[in-house]
Amino acid sequence: MGNLELIVEKHTERIHRGLEVLPTLKHGVPDGLGNKRWTGDLILATYEQALTGDIPQNDLEYKTGNSGGGFDVLGWKSHDRVAKVDQDQVDLSIPLNKRGDGEKIEIPVPIYGGGMSFGSISLNFMIARARAARRLGTYTSTGEGGYPDQIVPYRNHVITQVATGMFGVREETIQYAPIVEFKYAQGAKPGLGGHLLADKVTSEVAKMRESSMFTSLYSPFPFHSVYSVEDHKKHVDWIKTVNPRALVSVKVSTPTDVDMVAIGSYYAGANIIHIDGGYGGTGAAPEIAKKNIAMPIEYAIPKVHDYLVSEGVRDEITLMASGGIRTADDIAKAIALGADGCVVATAEAVAVGCTHCGNCERGRGCQVGITTTDPELSQFIDPEWGEMRIVNLFNAWSKRLRILLASFGLESIRELRGRKDLLVRYK
Amino acid sequence: MQAQETGYRRFKIESRPAPHVYAIPNRFDVRARKIRLAAMLVHEAFEYRFEKDVVLSRPCIYGVFSGHFGGFKPLKHKCVGCMRCVQEYPHIMTVKPSEAYKKLGDSFWTPEMVYTVWNEASTGKIPVKGMGYKGAFGGEGFDGIWTDMSEIVRPTRDGVYGREYISTRVDVGRKPTSIDLDKVTETPRTIEIPVPIIFDELPNGTDNDDVQTAVALAAGNIGTLDVARETRLGRPGPDNLLPLIDEEGIEDYGEKQPSILEFDAENPGMLRKLLTRFDRSIIIGRLPLKEDSGRVASELARQGVHGMHLYADYHGHDYSRDPRHISTALRDVHQQLVRDGLRDQVTIIASGGITLAEHVPKAIISGADLVGIDTTILVALQAEFLGETRNRAKCGFRPRKINPEWGAQRLVNLIGVWHDQLIEILGAMGIRDVRRLRGDIGRSMMDSELREQSFEGIAWAT
Ligand code: SF4
Ligand code: SF4
Repeated sequence: MGNLELIVEKHTERIHRGLEVLPTLKHGVPDGLGNKRWTGDLILATYEQALTGDIPQNDLEYKTGNSGGGFDVLGWKSHDRVAKVDQDQVDLSIPLNKRGDGEKIEIPVPIYGGGMSFGSISLNFMIARARAARRLGTYTSTGEGGYPDQIVPYRNHVITQVATGMFGVREETIQYAPIVEFKYAQGAKPGLGGHLLADKVTSEVAKMRESSMFTSLYSPFPFHSVYSVEDHKKHVDWIKTVNPRALVSVKVSTPTDVDMVAIGSYYAGANIIHIDGGYGGTGAAPEIAKKNIAMPIEYAIPKVHDYLVSEGVRDEITLMASGGIRTADDIAKAIALGADGCVVATAEAVAVGCTHCGNCERGRGCQVGITTTDPELSQFIDPEWGEMRIVNLFNAWSKRLRILLASFGLESIRELRGRKDLLVRYK
Repeated sequence: MQAQETGYRRFKIESRPAPHVYAIPNRFDVRARKIRLAAMLVHEAFEYRFEKDVVLSRPCIYGVFSGHFGGFKPLKHKCVGCMRCVQEYPHIMTVKPSEAYKKLGDSFWTPEMVYTVWNEASTGKIPVKGMGYKGAFGGEGFDGIWTDMSEIVRPTRDGVYGREYISTRVDVGRKPTSIDLDKVTETPRTIEIPVPIIFDELPNGTDNDDVQTAVALAAGNIGTLDVARETRLGRPGPDNLLPLIDEEGIEDYGEKQPSILEFDAENPGMLRKLLTRFDRSIIIGRLPLKEDSGRVASELARQGVHGMHLYADYHGHDYSRDPRHISTALRDVHQQLVRDGLRDQVTIIASGGITLAEHVPKAIISGADLVGIDTTILVALQAEFLGETRNRAKCGFRPRKINPEWGAQRLVNLIGVWHDQLIEILGAMGIRDVRRLRGDIGRSMMDSELREQSFEGIAWAT
């Protein structure tokens, strides 16, 4: 074994051990870890769930963050007098196609993986996510950076994303896909196109995106071919022509008229409307965009849900929510506010060691191998290890969801949808 | 400006690095428990059979342990808080925000805000980071406002890197009430500036010669205005000066007329005098924001003022008995002027508490045409915080000795990067002209309103 391999092995082993030791709180919660949204506790609790597949048994706060609003000021109504159901009998599955035609796809958990593109994340992490999706029977999304060959074996669990840059979008990648996702906008940078910094555009990334090496890549905003619902329908028709089997998801951000956008997507023929709130993750985005543009997902969900209900089409379209979903409780709250399920990405990164430090775009990229194309750093995530961590996290979340639903006497997660009455607000 | 030159040139403020000249505190305090570190090194030496490369390979990719003494003397200034060293060696390493960093600023200026302004002034680059937002959910004032974005159905738009021009030019002055020239009874008096940001006067006792010169040079470079009490004739930047004139100041001008001036609009009778004496100047009334500012503003507009400069305290609160955030106070004034049919005739400049790039579009959405920055100038120029900075008469800043050229570049960088961020916001909204943003509350979202709408029906916890 050469020294370079030994060095990688040494740090991989140390990082992985750290992810096991830190949640024991033997050294306390490190002062520098976390922030208001992803607190040190939440990060460590995610490490713990990714290790054990179970709810943390120590004092770690694993349900909410400390942002002072949104999910963090919502709790659950006391439910002592409700008839309980057996946790093991609780059904967490949701349908992704509620229309009368097309493939009937259900996922056994109300969660799938959000787009993180090749180039913005390492190939190893991408493979880990795809493997986890396969193991769990759910999906992960390619993001807009193309479809690496190494993902093809998992294609039955991979959503092909078509974004404005059209990077790597080819006939076969659309034909592989059980679901095709149009990314109109992204919550972390609504109204702005994608941005991959030059350092990350290695020869592989450039090849995949059919661009030049080490040149920054910007995706335009918006789709310059779509200025109306009719144009949007043409997009949907295009996908259905290339791959009649595929369900179509439309990922949008959360402007004031997000409800109108959702209904437009419904009429254009989408199966899934995926709304991405302002506080979600990204490989790189101007800080001003993350905090100030478009509304947080907690406010957008009821707006869209109520509008779809009032238009009488709520049961014909699946509403997926993302952009700041960190915990099982966030998922349950999003569903109680009106979503069918949630899309997560950052939490999967935290499962494999992300500290939410925000340095993804600096120099060599992520120091623990997540958002990087650096050949050495990428090796810290072994795809099988990553797969296990993500599967464990989802299993721990499923357990928490079952406990919660059973305590309310609900037999299925579908019964939780729109049950705001089960929530309480804290000042 | 660009239209007169040969060929098309997009308005761009040229930034150049202007690094900090006074050391800034390290953001993170990195410490290793030395005995444990030594023990770990010995242990790893045996574990890796004294393979130097492997034993000495460190967890930090930012070079914090790359000094001669490695982890025994970390190069703390290089730390970006990634926490990998803590993940790898939790029994040895601690990394936390440094005490000096935590002490930056005052009750309003958070350390994060100070750092942001420092970095913008030093690099002229938009702050870009990975992962998502890390801060509080919403909040009061500007923090409780989100700007809208345009999804799929509005005209194309492109941001800083895009192809289509987004104008940030604004008019300062009074506009005619009709496009029918026969009906226009007064001569329009306006000037145009390329960005909706001007430099307001500096807090008492902080405007030494070098700082003044830096501001004047920066205003000249950008083509914006610089509010100052002195006429500053014979010094740099008189063309960009927006003199704040009192009764005695009128005499200083002799026969001359400044193109634009400000006066203290709380002083009754001043406006009439100025309108008579400076019949070719743009006259801006300076007014503290209070409960009755809407009424006073309407009155001034009727009396013929060309614009109003409404100011809050330096923390962005108005001077009402029950202080309101500047965004609320501005909305009141704007709406009163709209109701009275006077809004389009006058310009509103807003200042006080405009400290981050996002405050510019949010103040404009709240009803201003443009904003003035004040204490932000001092932060960009690395002035020292001496305590609370809220009070206009006694503001807790001490300017440091600076080279005016350096200071000017810092301010040019700051405005340049705010301009770029304004373009990002306008681009996301699908708006091509900042003038269209004024008072457009419909293109914003308020935390307080959305909370009540979306959480309607959710009971309060008991
Ligand atoms: S750089 Fe930091 S925030 Fe980005 S993926 Fe890595 S650990 Fe997470
Ligand atoms: S926290 Fe990261 S940047 Fe700071 S010393 Fe540790 S490894 Fe280096």
